Amino acid sequence: MPSSEAIVSLQGVTKVYGSGETAVTALHDVSLEAGSGEVVLVMGPSGSGKTTLLTIAGALLKPTRGTVQLCGLNVTEMSETRLASIRREKVGFIYQNFNLLEALTAFENVRLVASNGALDREALRNRSMGLLDTLGLGHRLNALPKQLSDGEKQRVAIARALAKDPALMLADEPTANLDAKRGHDVMELLRQKALEMDKAVVIVSHDYRIRDIADRVVWLEDGRLRTEL
Amino acid sequence: MLFVARKNLFSERTRLAISVGGVALSVFLIGILLSLYRGWDKKVGEYVEVVPADLWVASEGATDFIQSASVLPGFLGTQLRFVPETETVSPLIVRPLALSRAGGPQDRKFDVQLVGYDPAIGLGGPLEMVEGKSPPGPGEIIIDEAMSDRYGLQIGDQLLRGTGSLTIVGKSAGGDFVFTQVAFVTLDTAADFLELEPPSQRTFFLLTLKDPTEKEVVAKRLEAAIPGVMFASGEEFADETRDRVLGNVLPMLIVVLMVAFIVGLSIAGLTIYTATVEKSREYGILKAEGFTNRFLYGVVFEQSLVTGALGFLAGAGLTVLLAPFAQDAVPQFVVLIRWQDVASIAAATLLMSLLAAYIPIRRLAKIDPVTVFKG
Repeated sequence: MPSSEAIVSLQGVTKVYGSGETAVTALHDVSLEAGSGEVVLVMGPSGSGKTTLLTIAGALLKPTRGTVQLCGLNVTEMSETRLASIRREKVGFIYQNFNLLEALTAFENVRLVASNGALDREALRNRSMGLLDTLGLGHRLNALPKQLSDGEKQRVAIARALAKDPALMLADEPTANLDAKRGHDVMELLRQKALEMDKAVVIVSHDYRIRDIADRVVWLEDGRLRTEL
Repeated sequence: MLFVARKNLFSERTRLAISVGGVALSVFLIGILLSLYRGWDKKVGEYVEVVPADLWVASEGATDFIQSASVLPGFLGTQLRFVPETETVSPLIVRPLALSRAGGPQDRKFDVQLVGYDPAIGLGGPLEMVEGKSPPGPGEIIIDEAMSDRYGLQIGDQLLRGTGSLTIVGKSAGGDFVFTQVAFVTLDTAADFLELEPPSQRTFFLLTLKDPTEKEVVAKRLEAAIPGVMFASGEEFADETRDRVLGNVLPMLIVVLMVAFIVGLSIAGLTIYTATVEKSREYGILKAEGFTNRFLYGVVFEQSLVTGALGFLAGAGLTVLLAPFAQDAVPQFVVLIRWQDVASIAAATLLMSLLAAYIPIRRLAKIDPVTVFKG
């Protein structure tokens, strides 16, 4: 069950790209929260502002107006260095294109992101191997991304996102490059892990088939949150 | 950081090979040129420096051993013997010559710095005999072993100049000036062979002093007392000789060294830059994951430093391995590898690596992590 405490909270967030006549408003006065153990699915058509919403929630992009809180910290006015630190400690990303580092093995991709200084070398190794193992990749530790299937890559990406033990996990179109069954299986795995590890999860997608894995589904269109489905 | 840098580097082995090869080529060129210069520098001044004279005496303005047009009257030697501080006075006749071997092709000439010395004094004669007899007799010559090796000259061979001839009776060491070698005859043989007029004229006098520590004071006093004559220590005379011989080579050498540095820098810089551009997305991912610019700069720096280190090892290794072979193949290729020069090349390689990383780092700073969310 989701807890009531918000891990991420967007209040009245507006994002405008450019200025003057060329200004484009990607988000209009959007408010959204996600708590520990909660999976929120943001759906909407292409160009609706989903990725902008995700990057603002992940402290990668600053809103033009409104406030963003992560684990109770107002990140709206933080410096880039501080935001990088927040992302490193509190946010795990899962990308549409997996975005694994091609020169690193599955294990190294996970270990690199886990190496935030909190764990010693041995603990780091055990944690990385443990995560990959629980995601069914114990036998693929030394495989390079090019040797992995798309489903395996996405599971490595989930392990990487979990590796730093973040409070918030953000997934951008995580099933876009997977077939229906594999996409659903991977999302089910993500949900299971998020619940086990008490993470808040925000997924942006236009894949209607994964709506059943979410605790809450919201619809974003033309930069506005229309409805809660 | 090193882990990511190393992985990135070794995942693209062809590019790594090009990059390391570029740095290695640069290090090799710098190393070989620098050691060649050091080798020449040592050889060119060696004879003048090693001759155990406290002062060299020459005509004013004739400051070097090789190209000097020094002409001194023979009686100057007698005058110098009366100087109270003087212990030994040794007259020398020195002339650059082109000789040919009897029985060999007449158009094949050997450059020789003929030195006529007084065997009774010995000062200014062969530094170290390696074969044959010393001193030479009338019409006899002692050649340098480098000349023997280079031209295949042996004891018993006759060297010709016009109608004059000299018979090789010995080989000595320590008189190789790279592009010419010292060969020794007696003063009388030199005067006859060169058809000097008057035959008593001399090129230099070598002085040893009763108190060698007084040489500067004595030199100043004698210069003031004898107009048109200069007195220099062996070191000064050797330095002047080096400057005269290598002075024209040095600017060209510096230009070639700079070109070699730029070649290495360009290849390393371009390959590291293209590697950074190709990995832009991955650097963006790391930024999104919260890795700081400092971490990313460190990755690029380390790639550059590892490339530089590998290139340095390969280039320095090539220099050390190939220099002796080159020396065997080309006698003028005299190299001297000093640890100070190796350290300087290492420093130049480090500078090359840092500069090669500069532009890629500027590009890294501009990578927007949000772009990794674009499909």
